[in-house]
Amino acid sequence: MSYKRKALATGDPLEPKKLTGEDVRLLYDRHGPALLAYACSFVADTGIAEDIVHQVFVKLLQGETAMPEVPVAYLYRAVRNTALNARRNGFRDAPLDHATSWLVHRGGNREAALALQAALIELPEEQREVVVMRIWSGMTLEEIASAAGVSLNTIASRYRYALEKLRERLKPYEKG
Amino acid sequence: MTWQDDRFEHYLREFQPLKPRGFPWQTRRLPEWLRRLAAAAVVTVVLGTSLWFATHPSERGKTEIVTNGALVPEQKATGASLSLLPLTQLAVSDPVRLDAQLAAASRRVLPDFRGERSTLRVLAKE
Repeated sequence: MSYKRKALATGDPLEPKKLTGEDVRLLYDRHGPALLAYACSFVADTGIAEDIVHQVFVKLLQGETAMPEVPVAYLYRAVRNTALNARRNGFRDAPLDHATSWLVHRGGNREAALALQAALIELPEEQREVVVMRIWSGMTLEEIASAAGVSLNTIASRYRYALEKLRERLKPYEKG
Repeated sequence: MTWQDDRFEHYLREFQPLKPRGFPWQTRRLPEWLRRLAAAAVVTVVLGTSLWFATHPSERGKTEIVTNGALVPEQKATGASLSLLPLTQLAVSDPVRLDAQLAAASRRVLPDFRGERSTLRVLAKE
């Protein structure tokens, strides 16, 4: 795997070069679903969340933003900010609809999926971000620390606290 | 990370986020140089087409003076046509020749009032 390809898949810093369309496409394929889940944890509607993710990628593609040093970190920040702006601007005043599925359980356990969604929404943002990056973007804690610009210990703590809370909420489903 | 964490991570991975709908890659803007090239190509085609039509006037571009054969029996040349562009060019370059050409054309195209079967004579009989 080339240096650039690996950096796009993970959180490694890229040398300050312009992202090509192919780079952006790789980022979208690799992190699109996780970013959609992340956006869904802020806004009620999956359609709105998709629009938010697309908006971020369009800006990246059109070069309207400064070249991010760590593309993955930038994407998470941008999705978060765009989602918060959308919410603040009354784009979606409705409360988060917990019945809308944006996570699907492989075994078809919809209740567990909805419970996990609800638990994720209740997590503090920084903990939620670490969980999504780790579980669905497939990043290591070191990569997340590098992307977030904080120490590995901080990220590990956030992750540990988040797992504890999630485990507690999903206990009834995990055994079943 | 404990083995319980690993096991719980594994459980969490059983949940998959939805895939976002296809990204509209076609909305990408073309590079600046390509857009300029495309604009130049369009301008060239338009200018070329205009020039071609200006130098090769089609049949439709000609002004036709057609007289009605039933009313004007003495018409000598039916469907004789006068092209605007050559006449205009002639008017600019040689007005005298234009006058001569128009006079000749009028004799050929317009009804003859001097002949045996002139229009005036036909009207007078009616």
